[in-house]
Amino acid sequence: MKLLENLAKFCAVLAGVLLTFITLMTCISIVGRETIGKTISGDFELSGVAAGAAIALFMPWCQFKRGNIMVDFFTAKASETTQNNLERFGAFLLAAVMALVTWRTVLGGLNAYSSNSGTMLLGFPEYAVYCAMVPPLALTALIALHQGVFGFAEDNVEANPEFAV
Amino acid sequence: MSAIQLALTIFGIMLLLMAVRVPIAVCMFVAGAVGYVAQAGWGPFSSFLNSQAFARFASYDLSVIPLFILMGHFATQGGISKALFGFAASVMGRFKGGLAMGAVLACAAFGAICGSSVATAATITNVAYDEMRKHGYSGRLTTGTLAAGGTLGILIPPSVPLVIYAILTEQNIAKLFAAAMVPGIIAMLGYMVAIGVYVRLVPGHAPEHDQVSKLNILESIKGIGPIAAIFLIVFGGIYGGFFTPTEGAAVGAFSTFIAALLKREMNWDKFKKCFYATAESSAMIFLIFLGADLMNASLALTQVPSQLAQLVGSWGLSPVMVVAAIMLFYVVLGAVMDELSMILLTIPIFFPMIMGLDFGMSKEYTAIWFGIMVLMTVGFGMLAPPVGLNVYVVNSMTKGRKGLADVPISESYKGVMPFLITDTIRTIVLLLFPAISLYFVQYLQ
Repeated sequence: MKLLENLAKFCAVLAGVLLTFITLMTCISIVGRETIGKTISGDFELSGVAAGAAIALFMPWCQFKRGNIMVDFFTAKASETTQNNLERFGAFLLAAVMALVTWRTVLGGLNAYSSNSGTMLLGFPEYAVYCAMVPPLALTALIALHQGVFGFAEDNVEANPEFAV
Repeated sequence: MSAIQLALTIFGIMLLLMAVRVPIAVCMFVAGAVGYVAQAGWGPFSSFLNSQAFARFASYDLSVIPLFILMGHFATQGGISKALFGFAASVMGRFKGGLAMGAVLACAAFGAICGSSVATAATITNVAYDEMRKHGYSGRLTTGTLAAGGTLGILIPPSVPLVIYAILTEQNIAKLFAAAMVPGIIAMLGYMVAIGVYVRLVPGHAPEHDQVSKLNILESIKGIGPIAAIFLIVFGGIYGGFFTPTEGAAVGAFSTFIAALLKREMNWDKFKKCFYATAESSAMIFLIFLGADLMNASLALTQVPSQLAQLVGSWGLSPVMVVAAIMLFYVVLGAVMDELSMILLTIPIFFPMIMGLDFGMSKEYTAIWFGIMVLMTVGFGMLAPPVGLNVYVVNSMTKGRKGLADVPISESYKGVMPFLITDTIRTIVLLLFPAISLYFVQYLQ
């Protein structure tokens, strides 16, 4: 689990750096547009693709921390063991969903590669974004599977809603 | 199986999975997938799925969500909240219950650069809770105030739920933010009045006089300066026509980052904290997006939502009554379900219904005003028992504080009651008078 945790952390930090890069690039582009009338061409396309990679890279850590919100209302009175078992079942289901999404995203990426599709202005290849998305999606499935089989990490016994919006 | 039966089966599967603690996003995904495959077959479903994750995640329009979230977390870690609370407390200190009112003011100011209600509640709780308790405020009033104040994070723009509404309904984010300004300020004033009334009606929850130090001008600027500057840059830029709201989110995140650096509070560990926190909120939202997409696609295939819209339109009900009914439905559903998931799931069904009714104003104004009404119910749901997320988070944050007794969760729920009353009054007023929400919008082109 330690390995999975570190990989998830690495992904999240990488995504954070990507996002920070978007903010910096956008600011430079706006300053350029308002002062010398020049922007970074295709800046919004780069923002879009970078955000796509970042969102996928955020998933493993979210699942590791059990940040995917669930409904507590109907089982609030159940015993801790029951709750825990149900949540492990939920992790299994999430693993299955993630595995499915990963598999289809691989196929989608292959499609994008063979049809050579890219973004409108820069022609940034879409398959590159698919390539960036697949590993973290697979990692998310793996983390959820691990949680389903072996239970949740010791320091992580309670699902935490602190990061809900 | 008839269309209605099919739609009900899809909903049934989703609710059943929700009842057994499966993550909400997964419940929607599985139910939606079953419904999709049952109607269209595996082939169309699998090709839908091939590009769905890419289409949802790698979208410029949607990048505004993680950027606003990142901005909020930079602000949280950036150390600007402590000085802000000091400033707010000294402004409100002359009133009875002034420290609590100061906490509300601090939440409102923080909400002007943070789009999340839980993050706002958590941030201000960190700097205000001990102070308030040591000054003699009861656990009930303190936790109630902080939980309620937190909702100003979403009621005052920027607001992540409002951004999500704008994306789902293809409305202008800048106009929705403008529409939220006046209701947000009303909410803040309403909370302050609620505190003022409460401490007079129910003695023993606040000290007679607060011992708050007066601040000089320099300290005040330190307290409110960074936030005012960021707010002016972001919203001045958006409404001055210098950049779009999506660019505004990037500018906001960047300027908050700079403000935090200038405070000399940021180090690599805090950076990582910001990224982890952003990861949890963003990934959670986007996974729900993915699930809600499937759910809505498969419901759309049954054509029940469009039939429902026609049916409701043909009843000839008063439009305001329909909105009121939807909001009551949200209050009930919000009692068991997370509010964001609720919006993602239901807006694609309710929105066409609302747009088919005649409110005596333009379609765009109707959409904007309905967005504000939805936002009000989200704020309400963050506080209302049995699961008010803000109440839960504030309460759990205050456990095991040095020298202070823990506050039972039932006390915290009692503490938010006065605020829920003002929430209800405000919501009814905004429902009956759309002009309040649309006041600033009319000046925007």
